[in-house]
Amino acid sequence: MNFFLSYLAIAEIYALASMSTNLLVGVTGIFSVSQGAIFGIGAYTVGILTLNDWASFPVAMAAALILCALTNLAVALPALRIAGDYFVVTSFGIQIAATAVFMNLTDITGGASGLAGVPPPNVFGRDLDEPGAFILLSSIVLAAAALFFWLVLRSPFGRLINAIREDELAVTAAGKSVLAAKVGVSALSGMFVGLAGGLYAGFLSFIDPGSFDIDASILLLTMIVVGGARTLAGSLIGPALLTALPQVLSVLPIPSDAAGPLRQILYGLMLIAFMLFRPQGIAGRRL
Amino acid sequence: MSGPYLDVTGVSKRFGGLQALDDCSFAIEPGQITCLVGPNGAGKTSVFNVITGFIRPDAGQVRFRGQVLTRMGSRRIVGLGICRSFQNLRLFADLSVLDNVTVYLPSRTDENPFRPILRPIRTEIERKRRMAAAMSILEEVGLAHRARDAVRNLSYGEQKLLCVARLMASGAELLLLDEPTSGLSAQALEAMIALVLRLKAAGRTFLVVEHNTRIVQRLADSVVFLHQGHVLAQGEPAAIVADPKLGEIYFGGAL
Repeated sequence: MNFFLSYLAIAEIYALASMSTNLLVGVTGIFSVSQGAIFGIGAYTVGILTLNDWASFPVAMAAALILCALTNLAVALPALRIAGDYFVVTSFGIQIAATAVFMNLTDITGGASGLAGVPPPNVFGRDLDEPGAFILLSSIVLAAAALFFWLVLRSPFGRLINAIREDELAVTAAGKSVLAAKVGVSALSGMFVGLAGGLYAGFLSFIDPGSFDIDASILLLTMIVVGGARTLAGSLIGPALLTALPQVLSVLPIPSDAAGPLRQILYGLMLIAFMLFRPQGIAGRRL
Repeated sequence: MSGPYLDVTGVSKRFGGLQALDDCSFAIEPGQITCLVGPNGAGKTSVFNVITGFIRPDAGQVRFRGQVLTRMGSRRIVGLGICRSFQNLRLFADLSVLDNVTVYLPSRTDENPFRPILRPIRTEIERKRRMAAAMSILEEVGLAHRARDAVRNLSYGEQKLLCVARLMASGAELLLLDEPTSGLSAQALEAMIALVLRLKAAGRTFLVVEHNTRIVQRLADSVVFLHQGHVLAQGEPAAIVADPKLGEIYFGGAL
């Protein structure tokens, strides 16, 4: 039972992160490969603040949310003026820099060995140290985020960022500020992934730079490719499937040192297969 | 109102070795349709780009109702009431016909990214209001029955009507149309001409890039003849079309 609940908690956390990726990449067409870094900033913020007892869990989550929104903004401001392909390179640079910071700011982040013993989320005086208790929190956060995601997508702002993906020049001709909308969506997206990072730290109680490197960014992209771009369902299905994969591999009779590389190979094959046969993903719209 | 409605004076623009606009001057009267004609490469689209703030001229200025546009961004210019279409349409292909129009509706606060979260009910009311406004524009151009369709399923003629619908949504009083009739079937052409004349009767002003002299004669109150970035002549359509010298330039004689 705990095994299944753990899987569910992880899937919910990645669903939050996928909504963030979907807003940025799927809807607005800002092809970011630094989502893993922002996810990590959320996780480290909550990890550091609660581990050192500098803040309670809810306050640390709020800090993660704000910090991730601001980081995404800071990244966005110079980079969003850069068109399409160049942004990929810029965000790749940010991802590399973030990993270097996580690795080398040893005093705060614990360096390569990571942060161990992050306390479980404490909400209303209760420690959510059991998956069953944690799942209640993560489900509530996910439900609220899903509602917001849905509201944003159907709002006039949602229409605007969809239009930006299609044709920025035509949006400019309409008298709209493309830059302002991109800044707005970067902040929103940062908040979603910040929440995900904070929950991740609280749930696993151990975080290290390897969880937020370029592979993590690619995993987050794979999730919306598989699940589907620009839909709520896609943001839930992708993470549900891809976080199940390691669990399935762990019960199969494979040597444990082969499970990791095999997982990466399967992720890669899935990306190729979806691009070839179903580019819109399982429950998405055309990318 | 001081001076002419829209006044382009001495505008020049050079791209590398190409003089796109060369001391280009003309004026537009309110409530009229002015056609911009001239051979390919004469600078017609550059004129649109300068008026709407997409490019900044090297010299000269554009004034609209007495205000200098030349240093303004395209956002403010649309806000003042000028909106342009594109020769290659630039519709939002994956969005519905209706959404193509709603995105062009002006907005102050309803496109704020946090509004759907902070004020969900208000946002929903605004969404409905915008959809109704867009729908009534689609009815005006005769595309209401296609409101839910994807743009890529529209015929070319319908797509061009949708471009005009977007400009109407912007609330602009001066509409700049870049080749609105090119590539249209006879029937679609008549629908386009009827729409433009109807909008003119309702008080809108037009600057239209048009190649077909017969259409120019049907639409235009005034014709601006552009050649190598310079205005060679401005006047009544009959006079411009009848001028043998301009005809020779236009149909590829003297260069």
